[in-house]
Amino acid sequence: MPEPAGQGPSARTVAGMVARGAAGRWGVVTALVAVLASLPAAVGWLPASDAAVSAADLRAAVLAAGDVAFSGYAESTGGLDLPVTDQLTSVADLFSDRTTMRVWWRGPADNRVDVVTPGGETGTHRDATGTWTWEYERTRATRSLLAPFDLPAPPDLLPNALGRRLLSEATTAEVSREGARRVAGRDALGLRLIPAEAASSVRRVDVWVDRDTGLPLQVQVFGKDDDRSALDTRFLDLDIGRPALETTAFSPPFGSTVRVSGQTDVVLEAGRRIQPVPLPAELAGLPRRRLDGVPPGIGLFGRGVTLLAVAPLPPRLAGGLRHALADSPGAVVDAAGVRVAAGPVALMLLDPPGHGPYVLTGSVTLDALAEAAAQLPELGGTP
Amino acid sequence: MTSVITTRALVKRYGALRAVDGIDLDVRAGDVYGFLGANGSGKTTTVRMLLGLVLPTSGEIELLGGRMPRAGRRVLPRVGALIEAPASYGHLSGRENLALLDASGPAGPWRTRKHRIAEVLEQVGLAGVGRRPVKAYSLGMRQRLGLAGALLRRPELLVLDEPTNGLDPQGITEIRNLLLELHRAGTTVFLSSHLLAEVEQLCTRVGVLDRGRLVLQEELATLTAPTGATVVQTPTPDRVRQALDGRVTAIDGERVVVRGADPAEVNRLLVSAGIPVTGLALQRPTLEQVVLAAAGPSTDRVEASR
Amino acid sequence: MIVVELRKLFRRPRTWATIAVLNALPVLVAVLLVLTDLAPRPGEGPVFLSAVFINPALFALAALAIVLPLFLPIAVAVVAGDAVAGEAQAGTLRYLLARPAGRTRLLVAKLVAVLAFVLVTVVIVAVVGYFVGTTLIEPQPVVGGGTSVSGTSLTQQELVQRALMAIGYVALSMLGVAAFGLFFSTLTDSPLGATMGALAVLVASSLLFTLDAASPIAPYLPTRYWLSFVDFFRDPILWRDITRGIALQGVYVGVLLAAAWANFTTKDITS
Repeated sequence: MPEPAGQGPSARTVAGMVARGAAGRWGVVTALVAVLASLPAAVGWLPASDAAVSAADLRAAVLAAGDVAFSGYAESTGGLDLPVTDQLTSVADLFSDRTTMRVWWRGPADNRVDVVTPGGETGTHRDATGTWTWEYERTRATRSLLAPFDLPAPPDLLPNALGRRLLSEATTAEVSREGARRVAGRDALGLRLIPAEAASSVRRVDVWVDRDTGLPLQVQVFGKDDDRSALDTRFLDLDIGRPALETTAFSPPFGSTVRVSGQTDVVLEAGRRIQPVPLPAELAGLPRRRLDGVPPGIGLFGRGVTLLAVAPLPPRLAGGLRHALADSPGAVVDAAGVRVAAGPVALMLLDPPGHGPYVLTGSVTLDALAEAAAQLPELGGTP
Repeated sequence: MTSVITTRALVKRYGALRAVDGIDLDVRAGDVYGFLGANGSGKTTTVRMLLGLVLPTSGEIELLGGRMPRAGRRVLPRVGALIEAPASYGHLSGRENLALLDASGPAGPWRTRKHRIAEVLEQVGLAGVGRRPVKAYSLGMRQRLGLAGALLRRPELLVLDEPTNGLDPQGITEIRNLLLELHRAGTTVFLSSHLLAEVEQLCTRVGVLDRGRLVLQEELATLTAPTGATVVQTPTPDRVRQALDGRVTAIDGERVVVRGADPAEVNRLLVSAGIPVTGLALQRPTLEQVVLAAAGPSTDRVEASR
Repeated sequence: MIVVELRKLFRRPRTWATIAVLNALPVLVAVLLVLTDLAPRPGEGPVFLSAVFINPALFALAALAIVLPLFLPIAVAVVAGDAVAGEAQAGTLRYLLARPAGRTRLLVAKLVAVLAFVLVTVVIVAVVGYFVGTTLIEPQPVVGGGTSVSGTSLTQQELVQRALMAIGYVALSMLGVAAFGLFFSTLTDSPLGATMGALAVLVASSLLFTLDAASPIAPYLPTRYWLSFVDFFRDPILWRDITRGIALQGVYVGVLLAAAWANFTTKDITS
């Protein structure tokens, strides 16, 4: 009779089984984690399909897409460190923070943009004659009539609005095609805008345009000396289709404060100045623009991406700004005045005797600001 | 006789330490098996492997005809266990504890649960304990409750680890009688203990574990079988040596060991020689002697390595 | 098995003590509100606390918002961390497993029991909040429903519907904590250790969430979408973060339960 040799092998089998048991089970878990962890990356790698559309045609498509109705969810990330004054924090936040917005767009004069924060929101409902702004945090509804000149507001940062605005005045020579990518789960065609003006502080703007509708889905603005985008706004979700009318409409809810907004401080100040400084037709090589309804004391120069604004400031605003400028680490102080650049946005404060404070700001280089100041001798600039 | 517990080359390794080192247990139906060993000899690890709590490094375990740990769901309901100290939910009464335990596994029908609980509480002497929460129990009462939990499903096999721990002498006798009664009714008992006396009084078979190895496994009757010598108690040991020259193997005070397995014959010789005999018996080794002979020094000792 | 676990949990005095403590804070807040008449402005302090003077029933939600960031997760971590490690420490685990209660089944039953605890706790906090709000706080006259975060009016029925959904979502948000607690609970024999482990994860998650440098991993943090229950009160409901929150909790539960299973079913029970 043979020896019961079964003991050795069977013992090994049991040992193997237990080891396989533990290792196998952990293997299953590891595989599960690996699959789950790679899912977002896999989705991100979905290839975008390009289309043979010329840059000019694509730009035309964007300009023609103003009536495309949609609803969506957008996020804008600003990389700008604007010198902040207490009165302008909301503007500064727009350019330096992450802003998430919900959008319902029935048309340029009928839409709603909600800026969503973790515990509240601020909604802007646009209708034919003006806007209702609802601030949950203050339980306040504000009615504003359309004004020719307003400070930047969250709706202006939506990719569709910003993309259209920046491309509207671009020339064919300035735009070129730039591949494709997926934005908000849609194929987006790249359109690159390189401003021709020497004064411009913007190196380039990339607009990613929905292949099907011509709607800009993402806009990235790059400064002259920065590889990271100074502003990146994009849709995260987008549904093409007209949202319901009751979604964009607004009536102040029970128990809320209702007020009617006045005009912007800057505009008021310009109107108040009895003797505004006369502004030339061209500043730093940028031609003056005519805007209906804007007081003559305010000057807007340039086109498209490259803009320069000259405006009188209310003294209390100027005081805060002067402190903020002085505290800014990158501020340049010379004979022309104090000026500072935050990404592509440059700012200069002039305080000529007898005229009240003026601000020069825009998407221009610091040198261009100095040049502009020099062309305004009445504001204390040295020619 | 059918096997109730069989292990083959059972090994449990913790890193380099072999806590259980290739043991081959053989417990048969109807045994009261005494599993002896010093603290740290691997008793508890072995019991836990039998019950599927610790997974063996290698080797096989067969419990009531099923391969453990895989067959646990099938065979464990037929096993009652008391593993080291009893444990229960302190805020609940003993009755509720038993009900919860019974409900958390298979083969504990709820229809008979109430009846079974009343019965086992009666058996272990806790029938009158009422709704008192277990945290108000004494150690002995908890031990009884643990035993009640083991008996709840009329198991074919009882695996008990130090079941009389914490009991007073009356309690120990009571539990011993209960176990003997269960054994008579056909339950196989696997009793792990370091109390030699307890094992000697209860068990029919003995296994001795020493440093992870099973150094002895035998019927108790065989281990303590007469050695073929007779022990004589006498006030005059020297005269015994004279009378039975050559047959005396040892003298220890008034105790004289004489070769010869017939005490009557030895008695006759001594009486005829006029030697007073105050006691006479067949010589049997005690379990203690057997165990000490088989096992080495206590594993609690830590010798300096040279 | 699940019934057994539920009985164990809810017959335990500590469970109810935890729930009572959890309710103490919102009640205290309500009393202070009534005594001082100082409601925080909307957007400040816990969500919805500002609205309770307009609609006292909303105190149910405010109560949840008060306990959500800290109290509720701690309670859940305590109960989940205790699930297996507590049995191990008490020694009952070996009796359960020798009974035999299958290890996988025990794990699932434990998770279900923790879930039940979360649900019961959240509902009790909401109900107590509702009664405290409606009995203590004087409502301002003529109010039917309420105002959404978006400034639209909600009917009483819509409000109730959304409140119920929000309560469900808060309960779901606790799943990740519960899963962490349960997983750690299978790793150690010390319930305190398991609880601290789960809390450490939470604290780390909350901290990383506020850190810009951690923004690439922010969407995967277990606490990332906790506050999204506010989104139920936007109009229309903002489902984006809510669905993400639910999916994320599902992923955490799946992964951690799998890890707990892999560990627990191959583990030597030496307690």
